[in-house]
Amino acid sequence: MINLAVTPHMAVWGKWLGDALGTNAAGASAGNAIFGIFLSLVVYLIGQWLFKIGKGFFLFQPLFVGMVLGIFILFLLAKAFGTTTATFYKSAYLPGGNIIFWFLNPATIAFAIPLYRRNDIVKRFWPVIILSLIVGLVISLFAIYGVAKLFHLNDVGIASMLPQAATTAIAMPIATAIGGNAAITAMACILNAVIIYALGDWLVKFFKVNSDPIGAGLGLGTAGHTVGSAKALQLGSIQGSMASIAVVVISIVVDVVVPPFASLMGLH
Amino acid sequence: MTTQDKVTPTTPTEATETPSPILIQMGIFAAVLFVSSLISPLFPASFPVPTPVIGLVLLYVLLATHIVKLRNVEKFGDFMISLIAFLFVPSGIQLAANLDILKAEGVQIVLVTLIATIILLVVVAYTTALFIRIAKKVFHMNTDINN
Repeated sequence: MINLAVTPHMAVWGKWLGDALGTNAAGASAGNAIFGIFLSLVVYLIGQWLFKIGKGFFLFQPLFVGMVLGIFILFLLAKAFGTTTATFYKSAYLPGGNIIFWFLNPATIAFAIPLYRRNDIVKRFWPVIILSLIVGLVISLFAIYGVAKLFHLNDVGIASMLPQAATTAIAMPIATAIGGNAAITAMACILNAVIIYALGDWLVKFFKVNSDPIGAGLGLGTAGHTVGSAKALQLGSIQGSMASIAVVVISIVVDVVVPPFASLMGLH
Repeated sequence: MTTQDKVTPTTPTEATETPSPILIQMGIFAAVLFVSSLISPLFPASFPVPTPVIGLVLLYVLLATHIVKLRNVEKFGDFMISLIAFLFVPSGIQLAANLDILKAEGVQIVLVTLIATIILLVVVAYTTALFIRIAKKVFHMNTDINN
């Protein structure tokens, strides 16, 4: 399993490293979550540092750098250990990654706070908010369907693209139900967040989205999920509040609207 | 809908009160998540509503009904929100497990996702702006917003 072990001397090192990373069966229980947490922090901090010295160049957004660098490091280590990237990811990175991932639960419900801070806007505009999200999603679905056809995606690919506005845990089962691939949908949901995080500021400026603060918030929450909400909060308290409500409402709207839309398009 | 009940700035006054100890704030978050995780399985498989989505609604309802005060949750909540981009790093790295999908149709899927993200942002934002203008012009709704 360990290609590093060219000499007996190196076999010791290979076993030691394998134990530490949890890629050997023996090390599977001990300490192996540490590598995943450490790697996540290191690649993100490198991203922050690059973003700072790169004077905010959009490709140096810490989340984007962290993702690309993290995958690249896992790819190299997998090569060194003579396994596939997917296997190495599961045994060495995932235990630690899952611990960080779990904290998305409290982080998501925390968006109730910016939502409540502008409860005045929610109380006044809730019918407009819900109507805009429903109509906006239906129009978007037609556009996404058209773009997917244009790029010659097959029916599985198209079905996987439709539920991406919902949060991952809702989008994945819906993708399966309409004949898509849940793994592709999960990837799309993650990419939504990464794209909004990297390009959000530029997109908001280019399309003059912020001329209507409620629209900007709803758009960012729909397109970028909770990361979009964090971006919206940087624009203002109304935008942040509206993005938080969008994350919830759009998920429910996807739940209701996407399956009939898929059968309308003859997808399954 | 032209209710004039200006929800007068409850926020600043509450914010000046002393925040709850951080462990109590975490306890409230844990309790909300726990109750949400009990509610989530009650939804049918064809209509999934995951725990954090229920939790967000639940915490909002608790805040709106003043059962939970901002000072009880604000400090921990704002801290968690400030971490959100970092918390997405494992999700991003998760793509390492799906590199084989990307090999097959990867470029198209990434491009369609990129365009879909822009579509969702722009279409939802413009639709909302249009509806707010209609609400103002046709239904004479007061759409002035004080930032």
